[in-house]
Amino acid sequence: MRNNTKEPLIRIVKREGLKKRYIALLYAASVVIALGVGAILLFSLEANPGEYYKQMFTFGTINNRFAYLQYENYIKEFVPLLITSLALSLAFKMKFWNIGGEGQFLLGALAGATVAFMVPASTNQFVTIILMTLAGAVVGGLIGLLTSVLNVKFGTDETLFTLMLNYIALYIMMFFGETKAKWNIFLKTDSERPQFAKIPETGRMFKIQIGDFSLEISLIFTLLLVAFIFIYLTRTKHGYEISVVGDSINTARYSGMKVNKIICRTMFLSAALIGAAGALRVSSVESLSTSITNDVGWTGIIVAWLAKLNPIGIVIVTALITILQCGCVTASVSANNVDSHFADLLQGIILFIILAADFFIRFKIVIRKRNKSEKNTSEKEETV
Amino acid sequence: MKKVLSLVLALALCFSLVACGGTGDNGTDEKFLVGAIYINGQNDTAGYTYAHHTGITKAMEQLGMDKSQLKIVDNVAEDDAAVTQAIDTLASQGCKLIIGISFGYINAMNDAAAKPQYKDIIFSHATGYLANDTNFNNYFGRIYQARYLAGIAAGMKSLALGNNNIGYVAAYGTEYAETCSGINGFALGVQSVNPNAKVYVSKINNWADEAKERQIAENLIDNYGCGVIAQHCDSAQPQIAAQEKNVFGCGYNSDMTAQASKAHLTAPIWNWDVYYKLAIETAMKTPKEFMTKVGVYYGGLKEGFVDVSPLTDNCVEGTKEVVAAVKDMMVKGEWDVFTNVKLSIDAEGKITKTEGAMLDNKGNEIISADGNTYYVYKDGAISAVEGGKDAQDGVIKGSMNYYVAGVEEING
Repeated sequence: MRNNTKEPLIRIVKREGLKKRYIALLYAASVVIALGVGAILLFSLEANPGEYYKQMFTFGTINNRFAYLQYENYIKEFVPLLITSLALSLAFKMKFWNIGGEGQFLLGALAGATVAFMVPASTNQFVTIILMTLAGAVVGGLIGLLTSVLNVKFGTDETLFTLMLNYIALYIMMFFGETKAKWNIFLKTDSERPQFAKIPETGRMFKIQIGDFSLEISLIFTLLLVAFIFIYLTRTKHGYEISVVGDSINTARYSGMKVNKIICRTMFLSAALIGAAGALRVSSVESLSTSITNDVGWTGIIVAWLAKLNPIGIVIVTALITILQCGCVTASVSANNVDSHFADLLQGIILFIILAADFFIRFKIVIRKRNKSEKNTSEKEETV
Repeated sequence: MKKVLSLVLALALCFSLVACGGTGDNGTDEKFLVGAIYINGQNDTAGYTYAHHTGITKAMEQLGMDKSQLKIVDNVAEDDAAVTQAIDTLASQGCKLIIGISFGYINAMNDAAAKPQYKDIIFSHATGYLANDTNFNNYFGRIYQARYLAGIAAGMKSLALGNNNIGYVAAYGTEYAETCSGINGFALGVQSVNPNAKVYVSKINNWADEAKERQIAENLIDNYGCGVIAQHCDSAQPQIAAQEKNVFGCGYNSDMTAQASKAHLTAPIWNWDVYYKLAIETAMKTPKEFMTKVGVYYGGLKEGFVDVSPLTDNCVEGTKEVVAAVKDMMVKGEWDVFTNVKLSIDAEGKITKTEGAMLDNKGNEIISADGNTYYVYKDGAISAVEGGKDAQDGVIKGSMNYYVAGVEEING
């Protein structure tokens, strides 16, 4: 007798038991394909792909007397992206979709800048930076707490809620950036046009000088944070609770965990870290801006997932994506006819193909056979 | 899997670490490299970035330089971190002159110019107000002079039409001296031929917004009965709206006759290549003298930096002669717009000069009768600006915040 529940035309099935070597090969192939597609596009723009990729992967540091500046800029981009990705992975691990990284980062930056402008100029630099970071963390954390409390109490959708808050945060930042008034401490006083002022010296990032190169201490802080998060997730009760909640809220409830408390606590921590990253970013770039996030709230999501939410993986993926970002700017400068839109496009192609490879490594697509007989179909599956 | 991913892209990391050892010096390159930081794309086909890009490439062509000698970072937001990164990249490539075209690049360029490692790089910033003595200047133009000439063409048209209402679609009003001095320059030009004319200013509150530019122009024509539409905004929409409603207009930035051939009279335009040729040539040949030879640059009709596009047949007969005569006075330095001398041009084209104070539309004196004192509003009260000619230029460039008599701001 014919089965009434018809098998769907296309099914996506989890792929199991792929050899690690094979997986490596697939990832390598995806990068090669991405670069190949880019090379074709570069040829069409009359640019030399070899030279372009050389500039991209070295971000122009070969034969460059200002190479140390490129490294400094690299770290400036690396730190906020790393903290944000780590923070997002905490929430994602719990299957709590915090896509409000942008907003939390912006408001954290604003809070940090407020501290920098308010404290007396004589305040110790370390003290100021710590105060700024704390202010950013508190503001970010409170937003996170608000989101999670509303979620657990009233069942609001955290995805929409955090997304909307991004725009509110952006417009708050724009308001401070464009409103010329006596009370507005963030603006330059000598400019007729409204413009963000540089933050006072005491709030600027402390640097360790190594020859020409100056190392921002936020990098050290960030690497310590990676270790902390790694231990927090793998060796503590909190970390265990997060993964249980992520697997199944009901299991967590049944085993007597206070699920609501765990969600709120973790979301507070996640958003607080992003807020702190915003404050550190202000300290590092020394002024506010509406584009201060450099899209870390979005890129961080990609990083977190590419790294499978593993803290060490996040460090590696952040390092590579930052190379891609810094490198694309340099490469587009070195080649005529290539503008920054193309650099963004190429970045997008590379990420897209890697993500696609990631998909096919984890899943396979099963297509229903056309003249399906009454036989057991599972043996006739065709995989793509 | 992440190990694998890292392995694959670790190559990339290796590349960059190997690069640490490089000690080569792009600075000794025979070729002189120009660096440019753009707010929009280098492949734009219209607008602000396009105008600058065309100016730079034209100047380089005139100097016999190759296209590859121009390095560009484009789509750079007015964000200190982004601008600093762009500057570092251009410096790394070996650029000896770095041009930034947008106002908000000011902090980052000012800081970069002060860095010891960049002391042999010249920084040149459009529309700014900061500079130093050795390697950082700013440049802008007396576009108000060209606007005065366009005002004459518009005023003569309004007389011929028998309609004293003239509209002005402005990005901003008194908030920015750039828009404010443009509006006043235009209005004074209008009044030199038609003292009864009224200039209605309607603001977009944005530097570029095509939909709003059109909407505001339509409002000025429909509800204020304007017969000529002038503009300070990016697109040709106000001119196109004027043509559709059978009135006339003055464009801006480029000759907009192509977009509205039946309406367009003339447009105040920039010849950026005039400045770029001077700047690039000086930076290339005598970089040490850049600040004395080029310095803070504020060129006008005299230098050919600003001008009006060729007058079209839509203009009233005799406009050409009058505009040429007034232009000649400014080129020769005999007269300028923001002074205590007012020009009156009669129907025969005869120009008479009258001395007297210039008043704003609230009746306050903004230039004294002897022409020596300039005033601006500070915290709501009118206050004198100290200093000589430079301070007066400073008012026009940076602090003018009033409309002259005969201008009225309306809500779009």
